Amino acid sequence: MGRHDRYDAIIAGAGHNGLTTACYLARAGLRVLVVEKNDWIGGAAVSRSLHEGWTYSNCSYVCSLLRREIIRDLELPRFGLQVIPYEGGATFTRDGDYFAYYSDHDALRREMARHSAADVDAYARFSQAVMRQCRFIRPFLLRNAPDPTSLAPRDLGEMLFLVKRAHGLGRRELGETLRFWTMSIGDFLDEHFESDLIKAHLAGSGIIGTGLGVYSPGTAYVLLHHYMGDVDGTIGAWGFARGGMGAVSNALGASFEAAGGTIVTGSGVERFVVQGGRVTGVVLENGDSYDAPVVGSNMDVKRTFLKHTDRAALPDDFVRAVERFKIRGSSGKLNIALDALPEIPAAPKGAPFLRGDLHCSTSLAELERAYDDWKEGRWSADPYFDMLIPSQIDPTMAPPGRHMMTVFVQYAPYDLDADGVRSGENWTDAARQAFADCVFDKIEQAMPDIRRHVLHAEIRTPRDIEREVGLTEGNIFQGELTFDQLLFNRPVPGYAKYATPIRGLYLTGSTTHPGGGVMAAPGANAAREILRGLGKANRMPDHAA
Amino acid sequence: MPRDAFDVVLLGGGHNGLSAAITLARKGRSVCVLERGDRTGGMARSTQIALGVEAPEVAHLLYNLGPRVARELGVADLLETPPLPTVSLAPDGRHVVIEGDAARFADGTAHPDARAFTELSARLRRFAGILARLSLKPPPELDGGLTDMATLGELAGLARLGIDLKRLGRRELREFLRIVLGNAADLVLDEMPDGPLAGALCADAVRGNHVGPRSPGTVFNLMYRLGNGGAPRLPRGGMGALGEALERAARAAGADIRTGCEVARIMVADDRVTGVELRGGAVIAARAVLSSAGPLQTMVMAGVGHFDIEPLRRLRNLRCKGTVAKVNLLLRGAPAVTGLPDDMAPARLLVAPSVQAVERAFNPVKYDELPVAPVLEAVLHPPAGDGRCVLSVNVQHIPHTPAGGWDDAARDGLTGRTVAQLAAHMPGLAALVETAQLLTPADIEDRFGAPGGHWHHGEMGIDQILTLRPANGLAGYRLGVRGLYLCGAATHPGGDVTGLPGRNAARQLLGDGII
Ligand SMILES: Cc1cc2nc3c(=O)[nH]c(=O)nc-3n(C[C@H](O)[C@H](O)[C@H](O)COP(=O)(O)OP(=O)(O)OC[C@H]3O[C@@H](n4cnc5c(N)ncnc54)[C@H](O)[C@@H]3O)c2cc1C
Ligand SMILES: Cc1cc2nc3c(=O)[nH]c(=O)nc-3n(C[C@H](O)[C@H](O)[C@H](O)COP(=O)(O)OP(=O)(O)OC[C@H]3O[C@@H](n4cnc5c(N)ncnc54)[C@H](O)[C@@H]3O)c2cc1C
Repeated sequence: MGRHDRYDAIIAGAGHNGLTTACYLARAGLRVLVVEKNDWIGGAAVSRSLHEGWTYSNCSYVCSLLRREIIRDLELPRFGLQVIPYEGGATFTRDGDYFAYYSDHDALRREMARHSAADVDAYARFSQAVMRQCRFIRPFLLRNAPDPTSLAPRDLGEMLFLVKRAHGLGRRELGETLRFWTMSIGDFLDEHFESDLIKAHLAGSGIIGTGLGVYSPGTAYVLLHHYMGDVDGTIGAWGFARGGMGAVSNALGASFEAAGGTIVTGSGVERFVVQGGRVTGVVLENGDSYDAPVVGSNMDVKRTFLKHTDRAALPDDFVRAVERFKIRGSSGKLNIALDALPEIPAAPKGAPFLRGDLHCSTSLAELERAYDDWKEGRWSADPYFDMLIPSQIDPTMAPPGRHMMTVFVQYAPYDLDADGVRSGENWTDAARQAFADCVFDKIEQAMPDIRRHVLHAEIRTPRDIEREVGLTEGNIFQGELTFDQLLFNRPVPGYAKYATPIRGLYLTGSTTHPGGGVMAAPGANAAREILRGLGKANRMPDHAA
Repeated sequence: MPRDAFDVVLLGGGHNGLSAAITLARKGRSVCVLERGDRTGGMARSTQIALGVEAPEVAHLLYNLGPRVARELGVADLLETPPLPTVSLAPDGRHVVIEGDAARFADGTAHPDARAFTELSARLRRFAGILARLSLKPPPELDGGLTDMATLGELAGLARLGIDLKRLGRRELREFLRIVLGNAADLVLDEMPDGPLAGALCADAVRGNHVGPRSPGTVFNLMYRLGNGGAPRLPRGGMGALGEALERAARAAGADIRTGCEVARIMVADDRVTGVELRGGAVIAARAVLSSAGPLQTMVMAGVGHFDIEPLRRLRNLRCKGTVAKVNLLLRGAPAVTGLPDDMAPARLLVAPSVQAVERAFNPVKYDELPVAPVLEAVLHPPAGDGRCVLSVNVQHIPHTPAGGWDDAARDGLTGRTVAQLAAHMPGLAALVETAQLLTPADIEDRFGAPGGHWHHGEMGIDQILTLRPANGLAGYRLGVRGLYLCGAATHPGGDVTGLPGRNAARQLLGDGII
């Protein structure tokens, strides 16, 4: 028999959402335990050192979505979190030109005009439209999703909130909102811009992490999902967490421990213990067991219920719904240690936009074709990537004079096709290397001498991401961000309010509303629902919008 | 001397123009239908493919003409034909026959996924029936604020829809809300393995639109087609007979119908419509003009200076990439289908062997390329007296104009591929072909004016339906200038041969009280 103990609440998984829930509960006076399968905390918001002297943001790499209400409530700056905004970005073409994005308006106008005079005005309209949608959606992030099928007073209240916000938009704007939420990012950009290069530069945010292409309806929303955050109040801005994205989780962990919480790492939950329809605790893989009347699972809904819960304890309908939850791996990543900054011949030396996100995809058609490859179980032969060198801004990521580069790649399948058979087993070391080579080939479009500078590269396929973080199929959002899995449908219709069919068992991860990204909103919302369930709603800070 | 002043001019004598004409003429308005072709019926008309042999020129089946509208238009008797079974042709010869909610193998044996299919199909049909109620009225505009009578009427209509939905029960309502904006591939493959049955459902979900089964929104498209039960049928006497019956009904109600009359200009004075000018200069005065030409084309005919910049911009951005080509084959005799009993010949034949195949057929069109194996919907029409017969085929997904243009090689290649795909199931087909006619989306746009050659005159995406059809702010059939209305497939509820856009637009005009 292993260790045994009792707590008021247990959180399974020390991803940033699990830690967020844990923090709120601990601050509300509960005795809380977090158990994590890995030897480290953070899940997909993690910094690890895999090459002496370098720190990688192994999964997530840039920060914007993290809700400022939560940063404030949990005093994250006091526990070491510092987000440094970066400015600009660029897309490099094959023929040695580029489009540079500047946050300085005049510089941006000049650069856009260099590619298309009409697009200068188009951009003003585009950003206005996107900002309007951002302002519309932001107040919904820290609330339950309105449930149109329910007449319960709280649900009606949420509906009313929605109706009021929608009414405030005016009819034309309401129509635009409906369109925006259902369009493809490709069509949306085509409607505004004429330059292929500018469109391609902006389109990336519409496909990151999803099993959809730039012309799939619904991808304009995915873009919004990447614009609705802020850094220090600048909506849509992104930044680096100093010390890598693990800094977010580490600050949460420290805040939690300061509030009296306990974290146990190194052994995962083997199963959630259920008695008479109620959760009573967890049993770990190493045999330890812990009891608690409330358990939160930071794992995605599939892993939670299909791998770690006794099926007999669940309604059939629910299991069916969980089985068909779509959680497709579509992203890969390279984390690279560089001995020096690579040459970028196209750009002026030291140009500020090189400190931002760099891309090499030059048209929407190229992006769409990248998606077609993925549908067939192949990695994109001509992939999209989002590439940054954070060590230019954050010196803690690499030794002096050296650099760390992060390359997020779309698309890579979870089940790789080999001779007509699709399987995760096909991700052999040779396949992983070939995938990385394909990405390096394209990086050379911008940085011809990149390969000479590589000291070490961590290659991550969806399969690797699943193995390490437990994200089923390596889906970065713990579930596709499509209409059928958003709002009141996330993760399962009828169970969108963090509670599950098992009393006392809650979901706290990105698998719930409002979804993935390092946002902490699911975790905070889950904490609110848990406290409400315990009759302690008044111990949750109020975020009334 | 023909009359040159009417209450209403119908620009275009497609089936929607005719439906509008019937609706208006029955209410005692003087109506003139102007059609530039030499026959009415638009994309639903028939054409002489050879001396004495008629073929449906474009549309070859009814999926969606509801009994209520058919009665109103006086063509209900044409619909008293048995529905056609659907046969999804399988590469291994085990074809799947779909009749209503039931599926089986063509040899009569049970299909392993029959139960799953029945459940899914019945559920979709139930949901579709409720949604279809929205199609009988103009879409809600919610224009006047909450105190406006019109808005209250709209809200009452929505509330009734809400009640219907509630009646489904909470579980079904949740299911409805989960799937309504989803993609057909996931919906279908959650219930059954991939194959000809799943492929057939997905082919129906993408037909006419610039989407693949994985594109979100395709579940809605599937339900749209099931709104009136979805059973495909040929009207008595063939598709051409429907157009003719509509024309007869319009004439009987007093409408003046003129073919070979192309409208060149819509005349506007003081922000109101005053009539139209024909190519050649003749002028016909009217207090209202209802146009089933494309929305942007209509604006251009009226002069863009009469419209605000915003609606103009929106219509310029109307998504309308046609994706369906038409191949009509005149055959020396009826072909046999391997693995299909002879009595199944009057069927709707699908070549959509799997969801994956449908998705693959969609990929190239995104880059203006032709598919290797297009998705086909073929109907063998009853033979003429001499035994010759017409096999009409809707071929998807075909670009409006392929990257290299529609040269002979591209055209012949497409026809050849279509025939070859069918010949895999109809041995000797190629030898039976006497004449092959191809209408590409570009041809269709040329001939009928359908924007982009699009089946629905405008993509039926979630962002272009209901209140957003044809564009945000333009949903009430009115086009900004007093007396100018849209009444074609680009308006609510959308395309297919339904008569609804025309009928609804006419009722809107009557309700607006300007004639
Ligand atoms: C490659 C990649 C790049 C990304 N880039 C960004 C980005 O730049 N910006 C951004 O905002 N978002 C990004 N994301 C998305 C974001 O990182 C995730 O959506 C988010 O971190 C998920 O947080 P979570 O707490 O909900 O779940 P997770 O981070 O998945 O946490 C789950 C935790 O549970 C643990 N666990 C799993 N099984 C068990 C078990 N049986 N017992 C105990 N513990 C268990 C896991 O180890 C993990 O720690 C990226 C994701 C990936 C994968
Ligand atoms: C390849 C293909 C196959 C199809 N198959 C089917 C099917 O099997 N079943 C089905 O239900 N639907 C089918 N459809 C869709 C269906 O045909 C259309 O949605 C429907 O016919 C539209 O009707 P309409 O009256 O709105 O427009 P149309 O039929 O396009 O009629 C518009 C009319 O306006 C006329 N016109 C245009 N401009 C002028 C002008 N300036 N002056 C005078 N006249 C003008 C045109 O000549 C035309 O007759 C198909 C469409 C395509 C493209």
